[in-house]
Amino acid sequence: MVAFRNTDTSGRTSGLLLRCVLYSLLALGLIIVDKRYDQLGRIRRVLSVVAYPVQIAVASPFEGWDWFRESITTRDALRADKTRLESELRLAQFRLQRYEALEAESQRLRGLRDSTAGVTARFVIGNVMDLDLDAFRERVLVDKGAQDGVFVGQAVLDAGGVFGQVARVGQLTSEVILLSDATHAIPVQVNRNGLRTVAVGTGDMGRIKLPYLPTSADVVVGDLLVTSGLGGGFPAGYPVGTVAEVKRDPAASLADVDVKPAAALDRSRELMFVWLKPAAPAPAPAPAHAAPAPASTPAPTAAATALPTHPAGESAKPAKAPPPPPPPAGANDE
Amino acid sequence: MMRETRIRRLPMALSALVALALAVLPLPTALEMLRPDFLVLVVLYWSIESPRAGGLTLAFVAGLALDVIQGVVLGQHALALTLIAGWATHLRLRLRVFSILSQSLTIFALLTGYQFILFWVDGATGNPVTTFGRWLAPVIGALLWPVLVGTLSRLHER
Repeated sequence: MVAFRNTDTSGRTSGLLLRCVLYSLLALGLIIVDKRYDQLGRIRRVLSVVAYPVQIAVASPFEGWDWFRESITTRDALRADKTRLESELRLAQFRLQRYEALEAESQRLRGLRDSTAGVTARFVIGNVMDLDLDAFRERVLVDKGAQDGVFVGQAVLDAGGVFGQVARVGQLTSEVILLSDATHAIPVQVNRNGLRTVAVGTGDMGRIKLPYLPTSADVVVGDLLVTSGLGGGFPAGYPVGTVAEVKRDPAASLADVDVKPAAALDRSRELMFVWLKPAAPAPAPAPAHAAPAPASTPAPTAAATALPTHPAGESAKPAKAPPPPPPPAGANDE
Repeated sequence: MMRETRIRRLPMALSALVALALAVLPLPTALEMLRPDFLVLVVLYWSIESPRAGGLTLAFVAGLALDVIQGVVLGQHALALTLIAGWATHLRLRLRVFSILSQSLTIFALLTGYQFILFWVDGATGNPVTTFGRWLAPVIGALLWPVLVGTLSRLHER
């Protein structure tokens, strides 16, 4: 296994050091510009189009295999699927009947309080591309990009609940950072009592945690966590996960709460991008005092701390927002 | 010599492209940690084999491509690959006469250096990756080196 056959061993590689330094400086410059300023967005968007064929080429054999397997399923399997889906649909429709009325009522109440926190306007569905971006970060590439109006920070859901948010947008694709990424945080609320806090990723797809709850906080195993809509990034009221374990160490001041995500972070192939309704409120004509609601987005996630409030949840007045430890908000990478 | 350079460019670009694809090929989660840095190995091979055909440029461009595909800070892999390729080019005359075992050990050192630069940039840009798994890739890469050299040298003999 004598490897190198090239006989060109004259030893001179003209200006190796110079070129090495030059390229390194260029790369360093890129890193700094990309990190500090937002100037590279457009360049990156163009570059991502160039990268697209490679990504397609890698992903397509797997998608092709899926397609092949799907196309050779038997008629019986299809029929079984169909009956199952039909019954599921019927069930979902039953639930929806009440939901419509509730939704209208909730909107009217929100209108009364000049709060539009997290009313969703529309959805777009995207498919997860079969690629591993980085072994140490929880991210996926989705086949919807700037072309479809996707923007950075946009909320992404799957059938079970909140999936994550958009971290980077290319022309044709976008990168979604999962709830479970160690650098991700999302403002949540315990559905049972309205207790607000922040859920932070762990780097493990099956687990997120609530690190900012005092040991005396009222959480029990099985509690459902929903988005609180604070911070304006996520629509309110979507399931985030259920509390799986609460560890209370009497010596510590904060409890250690593990949450099982509601979304199938490791399996979902279809994701929904959500557009929130712009701050202009009230489809209902309700309010007597037609206050020109100063589209104040609720106080940022600083408000999402551990005081056990009554569900006065997302009042639009930042006045009462308690100041304490500003947790990492949203996607804190850029 | 011109002729030689021109001939080399094609297998160079092709192997880099394949390595790029391998870098994002979906793997089961358990194996994901063990994925070697294919692109680095390929770039190292070419900087040792024929540095004049543009080893450093290849390193820079390939690194940039990896940055775009993986969606990390632009320039991170480009920086690491350039430095490592420069180092390898500097060492190449010695590397050629090494036994394959010593070559693998040197490659291990180079790959560790590469990971270290990535680690440093990650930390400096505020996305630290602290899991130990990161340091497994150089080991796998060094083990893979003889195979890769065998394959690539056969490939461009044609």
